[in-house]
Amino acid sequence: MTLATPRAAWPTLPAPAAPAVSLAQVTARYKGAERASVDRLSLAVHRGEIFGLLGPNGSGKTTTINMIIGLMAPSRGTVQVFGRDPASEAARRLMGVVTQETALYERLSARDNLALYAALYGYRGQQKRQRVAAALQLADLAQVADKRAGTFSGGMARRLQIGRALLHSPQLVVLDEPTLGVDPVQRADLWNHIRALRDAGKTVLLTTNVMDEASALCDRIAIIHGGRLAAPVDTPAALQRGRGAVITVAAEADHDDLAKACAVLDADPDVTDVTATRGPSPGLYQVLVTAGDAGGVTGKVIMHLTAGGVVIRDVATRTASLDEVFLAVTGSFQAAS
Amino acid sequence: MTALGPVWAIAVKDLRIGRTEIMSLVQAVTLPVNYLLMMVLFVLAGGAQPTAVVMLDHGHYAQEFVTALEQSRTYKIQFMTQAAADAQMQAGKLVTEVTIPAGFDRAVAAHQPMTVPVTYDNLNEDLWDDGTRGMRLALASFYAKASPGQVPVTVAEHDEYPGDTGYIPFLALSVVVIAVMVAGLLQAGNATAREYDQNTIKGLLLAPVRPWQILSGRMLGAYLMSLPALAVVLAVVVLAVGDDPLHLLLALAVALFTLAVFVPAGVLLGTVTRDRQLVAIFTRGLPVPLFFLSGVFAPLSFQTRAVQDIGQLMPVHWAIILVQYAFKGFGTGTLPLAADAAILAGYLALFTVLSAAAFLLTRRIRTAPVPLRPRAAPPARRQPA
Repeated sequence: MTLATPRAAWPTLPAPAAPAVSLAQVTARYKGAERASVDRLSLAVHRGEIFGLLGPNGSGKTTTINMIIGLMAPSRGTVQVFGRDPASEAARRLMGVVTQETALYERLSARDNLALYAALYGYRGQQKRQRVAAALQLADLAQVADKRAGTFSGGMARRLQIGRALLHSPQLVVLDEPTLGVDPVQRADLWNHIRALRDAGKTVLLTTNVMDEASALCDRIAIIHGGRLAAPVDTPAALQRGRGAVITVAAEADHDDLAKACAVLDADPDVTDVTATRGPSPGLYQVLVTAGDAGGVTGKVIMHLTAGGVVIRDVATRTASLDEVFLAVTGSFQAAS
Repeated sequence: MTALGPVWAIAVKDLRIGRTEIMSLVQAVTLPVNYLLMMVLFVLAGGAQPTAVVMLDHGHYAQEFVTALEQSRTYKIQFMTQAAADAQMQAGKLVTEVTIPAGFDRAVAAHQPMTVPVTYDNLNEDLWDDGTRGMRLALASFYAKASPGQVPVTVAEHDEYPGDTGYIPFLALSVVVIAVMVAGLLQAGNATAREYDQNTIKGLLLAPVRPWQILSGRMLGAYLMSLPALAVVLAVVVLAVGDDPLHLLLALAVALFTLAVFVPAGVLLGTVTRDRQLVAIFTRGLPVPLFFLSGVFAPLSFQTRAVQDIGQLMPVHWAIILVQYAFKGFGTGTLPLAADAAILAGYLALFTVLSAAAFLLTRRIRTAPVPLRPRAAPPARRQPA
């Protein structure tokens, strides 16, 4: 997308030392709430990366995003966007935000929706028209530019919202669950757009509950739960590796024998988690063992189970998926809390 | 970029949305016109009472008595037989039934006592009150005319204003203020609450514009959207009711100034309620009773102290005084007109400050401060590998 330079004087970015987003010991507690929604959270989003903020519902994702986009002041700690207060006018010029709810003026056309924001960002005359046309093109809504936004499907509304967020060529794009209500074809298209933004040097911060999306798009991921980091911020691959291996065992055993064998296995310091589920016929079970390192543990698993009277039919070893990492860290965290 | 660019953009946005919400526009116009209609009906209902006169004597004094009844401006007289009058009274079609008995003229001429049977429909005290008051007035004026020199007391009447103003045209002036109040509250309140209803306020808050630009844009948009309603009501009051403004430019200026007072009040209402239904309920419900305490039916200074105190708290009271002066040259207030205008300007400033404060308070999600405390030891748990 080639867009004209805005008429307004844009703030210059501070020295590259300042990350795109930084949170230092940030705590946010709503008035009247017993516990903090975000509790001493620290993280940094580097310039030019796609950063994923993951977490189950109620984990503090939206509160964190609200603080990053300047809609909420933290109770304690510091939030900065390119080294600035996110509520400042300068920071807002550097950000483009796609909120979870579409929040468009439904009675206005797509063009009028975009024209309003172009005016709010200081574009006028020819520049404004160019920006609006480019955003319509980007959102693939040029054909329906003069239709009311209220008549759009969920996907079209989402695209219009994204076009609006990118209209002023922001340095940081914040996408709160951007593919919510978007069909698979449009989602793939949107992923390409997000990657293109990163390739153009923009920073993208997105929240999602879809692990495929995080895995496919994000350079780094933070999983938060209970307002805290549930795992160290890292790349999806590193998180998966860090979570180690998943050993799947097809077993045949008496229920009580299997329970005892699993308990022994679970007590092994090299084993992270053990779950057993019933198989297709009586006496058959599937045992799922997660461990830091598959190499040494697979043998131990076989040894512990056979020692407990379990007949092993099959053993398969693979790396943990991001879904499993997510469930494991948020589940174990929840149990511990 | 000029600072006014975003202001105009927000105003235009509200105007465009307002144009698509025809019902809101219709409501802003019809509501005050309905009030006017309601008042006209009220005045008509409280006007001359349907009265039957049964003439059992058609002499000179009997005719004079009927004339006195007519001149009391209380009765709308119809002549009928005793049976018809009784039937209509029983059917609830008459308020008063007067029977001029046979021998009325002879008795009056001879200065002999004479009783005129009168039946009142005392369905409520107001009807009865009006009927008896009119009867006493008719009797006194008949007696003064029938027996010259017998009533030594007369009054020398003098009118404060050069022309008489009908009660409906008098009330209609207050309706102009209602129109302004309803239009301002409804349009500004709706436009503001809509932003919260549909969560579009987030987009405005995330844009690099200042709070005063958002507020000014909203107020300008609501002001411009309210003008058609104001124009329709002024047209009805001037053309249909016949209230020709004595000072045309002043009348327009007062109407526009009053609208400027109620637009920030509407923004305040929309910001506080964040709900268009509540805005509609408030606009239709609460200001109307307050309005009736503001000197609509008669100058506030004629009312009891308590009503005066309440009325003076209402901006409509000061607006009514200014409108009445601009249209008819009336001086219904107790303060100089400049002071009335200054008080109204004070309300404009107050509503503007309050709406700005409400907006600033709701602009960012507020969090509770967290006291400094030592970091707790992390709970014992199995860390992910």
